[in-house]
This record gives sequence, structure tokens and C-alpha cells, in this order.
Amino acid sequence: MPSLSALLDDFFYRPDEDVGPIQEVVAGTDESIEPAAEEVPEEYLAFRLEGEIYAVPIHGVREIVKVPPLTEVPRAASNLLGVMYLRGEVLPVYDIKVKLRLADKAPLVAGPEAPPPPRGARIIVVQTADGLAGIWVDAVSEVVRLRPSMLELAPPGVGGGERDCVVGLGRRKQELFILLDIWQALS
Amino acid sequence: MNTAGKALAEFIAEGTEIVESLSKDLLVLDQQRGLEPDPELINGIFRAAHSLKGLAALFGQERIAKLAHQSEDLLDRLRLGKLSLDDQVLDTLIESLDALQSLLAEASREEASDALGERVSTLGTRLADLGTVSAASDEDPLDRLELSEQVRAVFTEYEEHRLRENVRRGVALYRVRAAFDLSDFDTGLTELNARLKPLGEVVSTLPSSEPGGLSGIAFDLIFGARVSTEELTQKLEGTPAQLFALVTRPAAAPVTPRAPAAPPVPPAEAGSTPVRKTAKRKPRTPKAPAPQTPPDEPLAAASSTMPTLRALEAVSSGEASSSSPVRTLVQESPTPRGTRSEGESARSLTQTVRVDIRRLDALMNTVGELLLIKANLQRMVENVRLDAGVSLSKVWGQELSRETRQLERKLDALQEGLLEARMVPVGQVFDRLARLVRRIAREVGKEIDFIIGGGDVELDKLIVEELSDPLMHIIRNAIDHGAESPEARQAVGKPRRARISLHAEQKGNHVVIEVSDDGAGIDELGVRELALRKGLITDAQAREMSRRELLNLIFLPGFSTASSVSELSGRGVGLDVVKNNIGNLSGIIDVWSERGQGTAFHLTLPVTLAIIRALVVGVSGRTYAVPLNSVLEILSVKPSEIRTVERREVLDVRGTTLPLMRLARVFGHPESHPERHFVVVAGLAQERLGIAVDELQGQQDIVVKSLGGRLQGVRGISGAADLANRRTVLVLDVGALLEEGMSTERRRA
Repeated sequence: MPSLSALLDDFFYRPDEDVGPIQEVVAGTDESIEPAAEEVPEEYLAFRLEGEIYAVPIHGVREIVKVPPLTEVPRAASNLLGVMYLRGEVLPVYDIKVKLRLADKAPLVAGPEAPPPPRGARIIVVQTADGLAGIWVDAVSEVVRLRPSMLELAPPGVGGGERDCVVGLGRRKQELFILLDIWQALS
Repeated sequence: MNTAGKALAEFIAEGTEIVESLSKDLLVLDQQRGLEPDPELINGIFRAAHSLKGLAALFGQERIAKLAHQSEDLLDRLRLGKLSLDDQVLDTLIESLDALQSLLAEASREEASDALGERVSTLGTRLADLGTVSAASDEDPLDRLELSEQVRAVFTEYEEHRLRENVRRGVALYRVRAAFDLSDFDTGLTELNARLKPLGEVVSTLPSSEPGGLSGIAFDLIFGARVSTEELTQKLEGTPAQLFALVTRPAAAPVTPRAPAAPPVPPAEAGSTPVRKTAKRKPRTPKAPAPQTPPDEPLAAASSTMPTLRALEAVSSGEASSSSPVRTLVQESPTPRGTRSEGESARSLTQTVRVDIRRLDALMNTVGELLLIKANLQRMVENVRLDAGVSLSKVWGQELSRETRQLERKLDALQEGLLEARMVPVGQVFDRLARLVRRIAREVGKEIDFIIGGGDVELDKLIVEELSDPLMHIIRNAIDHGAESPEARQAVGKPRRARISLHAEQKGNHVVIEVSDDGAGIDELGVRELALRKGLITDAQAREMSRRELLNLIFLPGFSTASSVSELSGRGVGLDVVKNNIGNLSGIIDVWSERGQGTAFHLTLPVTLAIIRALVVGVSGRTYAVPLNSVLEILSVKPSEIRTVERREVLDVRGTTLPLMRLARVFGHPESHPERHFVVVAGLAQERLGIAVDELQGQQDIVVKSLGGRLQGVRGISGAADLANRRTVLVLDVGALLEEGMSTERRRA
């Protein structure tokens, strides 16, 4: 059996490697996109929270992971579900349902009394000013491409006040995506 | 990091190192104020300034290069005795050093502020204007020395100056002639120098005109001895050295007219320049110039290679002459020659390898992962041993277990190596602080002796860096509030100069750093008064508090001795911040003070933060890790043994009362009621606390990770660690829990 490092080796960039073609391709795509700049669709990650569909710009999402065993942190803020290990880093996992008024209190998902997480549940990992943070979602649905013309401001009563983390709505035919400012939701 | 950024980082790192060594030497000079400065020291500083200049020029750091150059000029004049080291000069040098440090800091942020620019240019002018002192006497003492013109001609300006100094001070001068074999003359010469060094000053090392045998080379060392002839003779026993006294005529009887100043750059210089760089620090002689002086008269070899020490014979100036224009560069002999050529010294001054702490952190992570693998393997072994009845599996199990042991050994070695790589002496911070003390003391007009001890005690680099602010704060306080003015001290019968001492000492797994002063001390009644006034404690509490508890009130947030806030220590940072900083390092701070006697702060810190051995405990189905270095013992306690004193739970442990804290209760977990509790007795400094848990799950090496910015405020938790079974456990912050236990005591009292 070839050693693991030999297998992995192919994935790494070597200084003597010829990357010219790749750069050309990259340059090419840039040019072809430029003319239609106004209608560039942006990719959003859509996920479910208590039956509603939310979406965040995908460039803000570092990764999506299955729910590992979470460790509860005593005396921490109520929206902190627990902490998890992700490749050598400890990151906090937050609930945003309370903030969005979808629930009265954060679900119990960490510690020995917590039930096993639902099959579809995922942690969305985002980069914040204080490092990586995870956000609990009930399920991840899809990656949607929304053009600027498909976006609208949040209707009055939805965007303001407590729910200021909702920045707008995205509409694709009959589907509605609630666009979220994830950093605001974490604050 | 891009190339430019990398280059800058490299420059900053190296520049900082040079500035630090400069600072160290300047401090010594400062401490020896009023004494005859050690020429070696001035030379060292001169070289450091020169290196910094070259380095800065190479990296295009004009401002640093310019100031370093101006400092170097001043130091050169100092070195050559054209200037005497008075307070003014020393102060200017120290100010330049501060300015250089600020410049480095700005460079690292890629800034160039005008304010600093102005400061630097003012300093530059001051450096240039200083000293046209040291009036040259009409009579050159060197002329009194019986030394031939040829020899004098090859002296460098610096050597000539040193020789002159020695003659002027009436030091007994000798010519030490030694012949060595060409193959190993460098080691021989190094050894000879090492022997001579403690006995006096090696002014110059010249290749002798006399042959050194068939394949030998002889040297003449001009040596100014601090010891008697007898002692010198005795100390040189066993070396091939011969001693000749150089005759010095009494003063005011000049015979030879003063020779014109020797040109400072002998021709052999250029070729050997790069070699000298290594020679500066290492006490060994470069090999390169060896073949430059082939023996001319092989026949005379026998006598001069004889490893005997001939009795002293006065030699005439003729005999002492050396006609060879070739000079060999020897370790300590400070040569100013190459120093004139620009940009030659971008090479590192030290032989240590600098490692970016982030790289070490990455390595550390790897070790952490490896530790997980190890634990997994161990679990597999256990499983096999328990489940399998088949003999084949048994063999497999044994093999696996052997492998695991192997892995464990390797890991231990790796871990140890890494931990060592992270360790740096606390002296790094101490030296920086010493300079600060000096400056502050001058600003506030206090006379202070700053005593440093235990600078070689090593701590994790991270801890050392994090220590500098808290220590600075405590020392500022000591100077500002602790030390009295010289007059006030005299009035109470203390010596004029206040003593502030900074001392580090290793105690097991901890390092204790003590900052103490012999000043006025803290008035605990005043502290109590203030704490009451600010509503930090109640009257009832105040009555109950011991002296020590009262003193510790100064660490409470919101407690700032407003009455004594000054420009220096009242910077909006209180001792509570200091305490927090120390707490973040898993350390604990304690204060002792006696009115009129002084104040001492004790900082107890773990040696390293990276990998620690932890006790894994279970509470209400949760798992926590307790750093083993703060665990004193573990007790098994029946619920009936827990008593209450004023509604506070305590244990009686061998006659002393130990406050007890139920972890489940403190952390708000559902409490179970087991038949017996395990009590982890934790202690830091002199605080003790029993922490009641439900079960003990064993010991394990853990890599503690910070909980990150968002969770840093969680009390009682210092971080998290990953156990082998993919479970993340929280690590208890014993310092904070102890603190909490104590404050509970206070609250309930």
C-alpha cells in the first residue's frame, strides 16, 4: 500500500509546478463575467430553522459540519449551545432561534441530558471578528443563486426592531428566502 | 506573508535582538556609573550599534540606520578615549536606545511618525555635539613604553588607545610570546586568551617576527596584567607562553618622539573581514588567516616551541619588535578596522535560532493530534485484551501494545523538545523593565536601586511576553507609590536609595516572581476605608476581614487608589487588570505589605501553558479536566464528613479546615447525591480549596485551547481540551475557582 503521504502529495502545490494554464483559465472567467456585472447572481446558502428558510451569502460560510458531541459551558451566555472541536480549534456553537423569535429558549443540545441531535441538523461555521463560530441549523437545504433583481428589502415589521438581523428577502418563483446578517444574529 | 513582509519581520526580529543586547550592556554601564568603564563592554555596545546600522541600511530602514550610525560614532569616540563616559553621555545613549526601540516598533507597523522623527533628529544632534572632551595631554604616555616603532605602526587606533590607557594607569605590561603548531594554533591561542582574560587585558595580538617552528606560528600578545608577576607566571604554567615585561620609563622623561598615528587599516584586513564576524561572539579563533605567517627561520624553532615558561626577562625595544605587517585576528581583541566599511554586518549576532511562535504552535497541535492517536491505540489494546479469547488476537494485542509504548516514548521526546523550544529566560523581560525603572526613577526624582535576580529561570515564551505588562505595572506602582523620596527615607532612618527587587525562582512546576520594594508599604486601613467608601465591601465584611484579605482588596475592579493616581501609574489600568492578566496565564497574584517596611507582590505562574497533565473528573455526567500541577491531593469523603461553618461547607483535613466547593452547584448542574464525594484539593500559592466531584476518570496529557475571544469571560474555565474519545472537555481555571471560593467566604462571612 502506498504511504499516506505519497497519496496526499498530489494535492500539494509544488513550486516547480506549471500553473500558467490555471491562471489563464482564472483570468478568462473574470473577463467573461465582467460585462454582465449588474446581474451577477450571488450564491446563498439556504437552511431551515423551525420550518422557515433562511439564507446567508455563501462566501461568509467557512464550512458545514455534522453536529459533533457538544460540550456545554457553564455560566455562559444563554445563546451559547456549547463548544466543539474542529481540527484542533475550539469553537463556540450558538443558537439564533431565540434571537429570531422562533423559540423561547435555546434548545438543550449539549451535556448528558441532551437528546441526540436530529439527523438533519448541522453546524454552519462562520468567521467572526472574534474567531470562528458555529451556528446551529435544523437542516441545510441548498445553495441558491439569487440575482440582485430577485432581492427585496424586508417588509416593515420584519426587518426592524429585534429582528434587525434580517436584511431582506430573496424570492425565487414561489420560494421565499429570509436573508440573514449572520454576524448581527450572533451579536 | 509576502516577501517584503517576511523581510521586514526578519529585520524586526533581528533588530530587536540587537537592541536587547545593547540594552543589557548599557544597563551594566549604568550600574557601574562612576567606575572606570570596562573597555570590553563599550566595545560590545559599539559593535551592536554598528551591526544595527548595517542591518537597518540593508533593509532600507533609513531612520534606524542614521540614529544607529550617530550612536556608533559617539561610541567610537568613547572607545578610543576621545570622550569620557559621563552621565550626560550615558543618558544620551540610553535615550537613543529608547528611540531605536520606538523606531523598531514603528517600523514593524510600517509607520513613520513625525513626532518620533523629530525626537530622533534632536537626539542625533545631541549625539554629534557631545564631547570634544578628554583633553589630549601634551605628553603621550605611549612614548614611555619601550616598544619599537614597527610594533607601534601596526597597532590600530583602538589598540593604541588601550595601550596608552594601560601605561597611563601604570599597569604592568607584558609581551606574551607563544608559539603554536599551524594545524591547531587557533585552539591554542583561544586557550591562552581564555587564561589571560581573567588576569588582565589583552591589548593586541600580533604574529611574532620570530619563527614558530617548522610548521608553527608564534604570536606576541601585548598584555596588561592586573595580577602580580608571580601569579601570572603561575597561571600560565603548562602553556607555551613566555613572558617578557615591557619596560615603562617614568613619566616626564620622553625619549622617543611620539610616532605619527598608525594608519588604522592594515592591508590584510579585507580578506579576513567575514571571518571576524563569527569570532566576535564565539571564543574561538578563525582559522582562515593561518598560513599568512610562514616560519622564516625553521632552525630557531626548537627553542621557541618549547612549552616552558621562561622567567621574566626585560626585553629591549629592538627585541620586542615585530616586523610582520600581517595581523591575525583573534577573538576578543577588539578591532575597529572593519567597522569603517559599510553594510558588512547583516549577519546575526547570536547563535540562537529564532522560531516564530506560530510555527511552534502548529507543531504543538500536531503533537496534540498524535497524543489522541496514542490514546486511541491504547483503547484498542484494551478492547482486544478484554474481548478476544483467541490466541491470535492475543499476539496481535501484544504487538499493538508494544507499538503503543514505542509511540509513547517518541511522543514524550517530541513533546519535551517542543516545550524546551518554547522556553525563554524571564531575563528578557527583566532587562526591558530595568530600563523602564531607570527612566521612571529619573522622571520622578527618586533614587532607586533596581535589583534583578533569577533572570535565567525559564518560562514559556508566551507567558514571558504576557508578563511584561503586569510586571511593568507593579513596578510603576512600586516606584510611584512605594518608594519614598530620598529625603523622606532619610528622615525615617532608611538609606537614601530605595530598593526595588525583581526576582524569579522556580518552585516545582511553578515559577514564582517576586516584585518587592522597601518603601512605605500599603496602608491596609486606608485600603479598607476606600473599599468601604466605594461600596466594594460592607461594614460587616470589613470587620471580619484579616489583614491579608484587606490587602488583597487592591485587586478588586473599581479599586483605584484615586488619591495617589499620578501620571505614571494612574493610566486607567488598575491592579484588577494585572490580576486578570496573571489569571489568564493560569497564575495567581498575592500581595504582602508591612507599613514602613515595604511591599511584595508574588506572582505564581505555571512553567508552560502548552501541554499539561490533567486530572479528568466527572460531575453530574459532565467531564472536566483539572490541571494536575495545581492538585495537591485527592480525598474520598462521605457526605457526613462535610461540615458547615457559618453555612459554608468545609472539610476537616488533618486538623485544618478546608473550604469546600461543590463543582456541580457552582456550575449549575443537577446535583447528584452519591455515597461518597471525591474532593480534589487544589492549591496555588498559599490558597487551598477542596473541589467536590462525583468521579475520577484518570490522568491525561491535554493540549489546552483557549475558548477564544467570545468566551473568554466565562469564570472558572480556562480553556478546552480534546480527549481521545472525541469529547471536548473544559479545563477548570483553578486560580479563578480559588478566588471564587475565597470571595464566597468573604461574602458569607
